[in-house]
Amino acid sequence: MSELGRLALLLGFVCSLFAVGSIAWGLRTGLSGPLRSGRRAVWTVCALALLALILLERALLARDMSYRYVAEHTSRDLPLHYAFTALWAGQEGSLLLWLLILSAYGAVFLFAYRKRLDPFYDAVAMVIATVMVFFTGLLTFVCSPFRILATPPPDGMGLNPLLQDPGMMIHPPILYTGYVGFVVPFAFAMAVLLLNRSGTRWIEEVRRWTLFCWGFLAVGILLGARWAYIELGWGGYWGWDPVENASLMPWLVGTGFLHSVMIEQRRGMLKTWNIALIALTFELSIFGTFLTRSGVLTSVHSFAESNIGPWFLGFILISGTAATALILYRKALLESENRMDAMVSREGSFLFNNVLFVALTFATFLGTTFPVLSEAVTGTKISVSAPFFNRVNVPIALALLLLTGAGPVLSWKRATASVLKRNFVLPTFLGILAVLIALPFGVTGVYSLVCIFGAVFVITTIVMEFARGIQARRSAEAAAGLPVQVAHLVQKNKRRYGGYIVHAGIVVLFVGVLGSSVFQKEAHAPLRNGQALQVGPYTLTLRGVTERQKQNASLTTAILDVQRGGKFVGTEHASKALYTKSQQPMTEVALHSTPMEDLYMILGGVNEDGSASIQAYINPLVSFVWVGGLIMVLGTIIALSDKMRLRREEKSAP
Amino acid sequence: MSRLLSAIALSLVLSLSAVPAAVAKPRDPAHAITSQLICPCSCGEVLSGCTCETGKSMQGTVENGIKQGKSKDQIVGALVAQYGEVIRGAPKAEGFNLIVWVAPFAATLAGFGIAFLILQRMVRRRAALTAPGLEGVAAGGRAGTRAGPSGRALQADLDALRARAEAELRQLRR
Repeated sequence: MSELGRLALLLGFVCSLFAVGSIAWGLRTGLSGPLRSGRRAVWTVCALALLALILLERALLARDMSYRYVAEHTSRDLPLHYAFTALWAGQEGSLLLWLLILSAYGAVFLFAYRKRLDPFYDAVAMVIATVMVFFTGLLTFVCSPFRILATPPPDGMGLNPLLQDPGMMIHPPILYTGYVGFVVPFAFAMAVLLLNRSGTRWIEEVRRWTLFCWGFLAVGILLGARWAYIELGWGGYWGWDPVENASLMPWLVGTGFLHSVMIEQRRGMLKTWNIALIALTFELSIFGTFLTRSGVLTSVHSFAESNIGPWFLGFILISGTAATALILYRKALLESENRMDAMVSREGSFLFNNVLFVALTFATFLGTTFPVLSEAVTGTKISVSAPFFNRVNVPIALALLLLTGAGPVLSWKRATASVLKRNFVLPTFLGILAVLIALPFGVTGVYSLVCIFGAVFVITTIVMEFARGIQARRSAEAAAGLPVQVAHLVQKNKRRYGGYIVHAGIVVLFVGVLGSSVFQKEAHAPLRNGQALQVGPYTLTLRGVTERQKQNASLTTAILDVQRGGKFVGTEHASKALYTKSQQPMTEVALHSTPMEDLYMILGGVNEDGSASIQAYINPLVSFVWVGGLIMVLGTIIALSDKMRLRREEKSAP
Repeated sequence: MSRLLSAIALSLVLSLSAVPAAVAKPRDPAHAITSQLICPCSCGEVLSGCTCETGKSMQGTVENGIKQGKSKDQIVGALVAQYGEVIRGAPKAEGFNLIVWVAPFAATLAGFGIAFLILQRMVRRRAALTAPGLEGVAAGGRAGTRAGPSGRALQADLDALRARAEAELRQLRR
């Protein structure tokens, strides 16, 4: 079976190469035969990647220890569902999942545009196939998941306990769907440059693909945050870890693109900038995979030991150089068609918003890679972690929050004084009022106050936009209730109001981040049976400590009675698991969630004197982070469903 | 409608302000130190939330230092001497490490400056296009009859636009 897997990947590599060559030939000669063959080759790669994945899954589920990958990432006592998800626990399996999603995007793309005879779409498929060449080549010649051990061990090394969590079953595939999907916008952009195509129709298509991937990446990032919150046991959900940063960077640039693309659609401006942003988003998604898979972040020295790091770096350099060269070569095609009417306009605010998105990405990139750079230059190992990012990234993010409110209410072309007055006076007044109300209650930090001002400012502008839209349609729907009017308004312009809903989600998320970071409370103490720990209004009383054996771990659990203001609210179980194979201790958090705050309890361990070390946090408003994420997803779905607009534009084209 | 709007917005302000107000209290001094340090073991957690043995030992050192009346710098300095610079969550802003502190803000300011200049140039070009006496050109009139560099530039602009429009029309008819 391993030979079949290797053969599937080798054939995938050959088919990818064939697809690139055949489509290139067809584009050059204008013959339809090679184009058709190239398209079929892309389909074939998808089928072969699926076959390879099924074969590896079969080996994982059967715990076939003759496979090196299976022996390294599973064990016989591993529950079946985690054996299934061990596919993305290691480097080779993750790359195979990457390849499957990549080739699936290729196949879905070809299916979606099967009726379009324009060779432009073949050129897009050719670029996707070029990326497939890299991944199939990597899996065939550099890090095959089908390597066989000469003497299979009786049992495997087991799955990393951190990955034995239900969140890890869905987080990586969703994150990858977002990551990998950026290949499609990139391929569109490169095809435009390769074929020297003008026009804006591709921009609308690219916007939809980007929005789709962006939404998945956002969900993936939030699921990762939720996993970190529940599984890592340090009381937070975002630690500015390099892996988190790697997923955030393409999302940030992608967000910038989704804004600036509107300027190109409306005004025919920023064409070079938009193509550069698409290329950067794609390169960052590859760079993210490189960061997490090359080992470079552990130390500059481990990079040399990594067998895929140099390959990824080479691919990034080649594809980045090719994209830059193409942009420069087609400079004339990307010239702006329009001119700005005024600085104070929606276009102007979007341009500044783009600067902030790119600056935030740059700060994240620099902070993430700086330890490696510093070690290489000074020879001293340093860390660049949450304390750095909180000081550098937070002010930039807050500036973005303020622009989130300002941008959408500025008019296109020119915002007149009356527009500024009409749209800004009330939000600014309410924002200042919120700050004044917060001040006497001890909220003093500048960032906290700016966040409160920004949140109220943005929400007010959104509410005002909805109110104006409803008012404009009032004569038509005077009899309908407010929810119906809102629904009709959203339905009328899904893209616009979907965007506002995403903004509202962002605000809710910011409020959650503010509450849970600035106002977090913590207490810890060793407790004996019957003793209590006070944290804020909560009293935790230790009722006992139990020991039990799970399938592949032994579990020590502290049973805690929780009271809030003297009133019993429940019994919680905070555990420490010791995994049999790895002998790695893992925290299993006890969480008492309410809409306004989470009580987060951790068992640090059982001390020699029999007492249990209990650590407890109150994380206010943490639920806002997840609800904000859900609102963002809802807004994205609404904006994505705006098919009518595209059709209308197609019909109106001569 | 405006009354409804004001009521909704005001209630938002009040609810938002009330929430953090109820819980805003100062953190303990140990947290001010441990939240800025990283556990040097493989866990790599911020020390304040670390539950591994090394982390717990370091948390104990910080708490003992505070009890003994040591300053933040003294406590951090002793830990850095023991474990190395790697335990600082943010590098000291000195020497080569200054780059990581300065570059993001410098890049942001430079980006704003460039964006401002680009916008200014675009606005000026637009203003030139709609300047009195050139409306005919902007409206699509034959600018070739006009003398001067701006007339020629506009003619080139219009020719390019016309050629592009024709190319797109051909493409759509195909």
